[in-house]
Amino acid sequence: MSRGFVYNILFRTGIVLSVYIRMSLLKPFSKLPGLNAANILLVECEEQFQKSLADALVEETAVTVYVRLAKSLPLPKENEESRPRIDLVVFIINLTSELSFQSAEASLKYLDPGYLLGKVCFMVTNARNASVPTERLDAVRKLAAALHCPLLFAEDQTPDGVTYATKRLLSILKVSAGLVPMATALYLSSLTSCTVPPDIDQPSFD
Amino acid sequence: MEQHHNSETRTPLNSVAVQRRSKTKSYRLSYRSGIGAASRLGFTPGLTARRLNTSRKAPKSNNITEKVTKEQLALLVKTEWKLSYVTPLYQFRHTQLKSYSRQLSAFIAAEKQQGLAVDVEGTQNRFRVSFSLVQEMTESVDDAVTVFIQIHSKPLIVRQDEPQRPVWSGWLTCINGNLEYLRSLPKDFICLPLFCSSEAGGLTSVVKSWFQQSFDCCFGPLEISHTSLQWLMALWTNCHPESSIRQLKMIWTLPVEPQLQVTYTVNAEDAWQLWSSVRKENTAAAGEENSIDIEEVTSFMQGLKGHFFRHFRLDLSAGRLDEVSTALGSAKHSGRIKFSNSKYMITTLMLLTECALLKMPI
Repeated sequence: MSRGFVYNILFRTGIVLSVYIRMSLLKPFSKLPGLNAANILLVECEEQFQKSLADALVEETAVTVYVRLAKSLPLPKENEESRPRIDLVVFIINLTSELSFQSAEASLKYLDPGYLLGKVCFMVTNARNASVPTERLDAVRKLAAALHCPLLFAEDQTPDGVTYATKRLLSILKVSAGLVPMATALYLSSLTSCTVPPDIDQPSFD
Repeated sequence: MEQHHNSETRTPLNSVAVQRRSKTKSYRLSYRSGIGAASRLGFTPGLTARRLNTSRKAPKSNNITEKVTKEQLALLVKTEWKLSYVTPLYQFRHTQLKSYSRQLSAFIAAEKQQGLAVDVEGTQNRFRVSFSLVQEMTESVDDAVTVFIQIHSKPLIVRQDEPQRPVWSGWLTCINGNLEYLRSLPKDFICLPLFCSSEAGGLTSVVKSWFQQSFDCCFGPLEISHTSLQWLMALWTNCHPESSIRQLKMIWTLPVEPQLQVTYTVNAEDAWQLWSSVRKENTAAAGEENSIDIEEVTSFMQGLKGHFFRHFRLDLSAGRLDEVSTALGSAKHSGRIKFSNSKYMITTLMLLTECALLKMPI
């Protein structure tokens, strides 16, 4: 189902373009992993929260965490050779801006479907903000549920919030990098993936 | 609404009393059956089942001028109102307005004596409060009648020829509230979820605390969300052929270092052309009552944003829509509304009532 979603987009863009996109897809298993290392890619349109998250993530001592930051996919071709294998791709969406969601959706096209087996995670900030229309959060939920990915809510303004978000990302990252025995990314994602209530589209009134 | 849900789960399934609320009960059942056991712990289902209507009737120019008197209408239009939501009022009787006026003026005098800052000119003014009903400003039979409150200041030296201008005014209203919700309220409760107040500093908080004390209700600020502002834009543009909106003005705020504020004004004719081209596909089964869908509204907005991007290379999606105004009225994201024309007030009020009902914690 999740594969069908991504392939659908690829076929719609036409044969020549789909070949071009395929060449710039981020692939999960084309390189060898490092020893006791984990690579995480943070994709965020505003490029703010990812900096504080990155600072907190590299302080982990049990595992060597390499953090890569991006504004959107596809990643630049120049680094293709030197880039290590990315274990977890995190899309950070700021709910107060519609552009954030649109850019995350557009970046999904450049992700190989292999990532959707537990190596992609959505992180949402500002969900409690009163100016956020409920429809936007619904749309993010539906996207995460369609791709069977976990959806995390984070608070980016306080240092405590950054710490909690880091802890949760690290637990998912360690599983995705294969550093937790007896647990795989696919297994974890089937437990933690986002679900939408079946009546999410029904209006409250009438 | 939360309370009702809790009481529902405690009554046995085959109790007759639950039948009346079967629709809301089915929300809870359907939600629970769709999710695994782990999510049942500590989740408040009431919060997710709340959405605005996705389709609305196109507004017709209600003959509100025939039903509501001109003087009362004049009080409501041309002022900018600050919106709040109110939970249902306990034992508010529409027949006891005179005694409420007396109680409120006594309350204001008592608060002034206590030293609560009520900023009016001169400290020796007393206040005269008048409650009145705005009859016929309802959409459905179950709506409670709108209550209008005015506070005049009574200077010690009264000159006969000076017209009394009110220091503060406000009104409580419910237009086409959700029937199921209104009927599910216990008796003695009246639902008037939308409270509009003119800004006059301390007086608004004094009036709110009097209401909270007398009728055991809660007030809270009501913002007009991005989706509601889009709806208002579409609904007002839809009225263009009947009464010209003159121009569609939007104010956006963009989050850049010195904050950028964009005022985007669209000529009425162009806005109407864009809107009618978006609606073109759906006029197949055109009848009198065409309903507008949320997809049409979002494509209208996308068209406006795309046009702006083509000319200025600025994507407005990164910003926040703060205000929408046309000749029919203006609405601000912070929760302020102004009606400039009384013709399409009812539809706007219907939308605002729905927002208030959704934001209410009960």
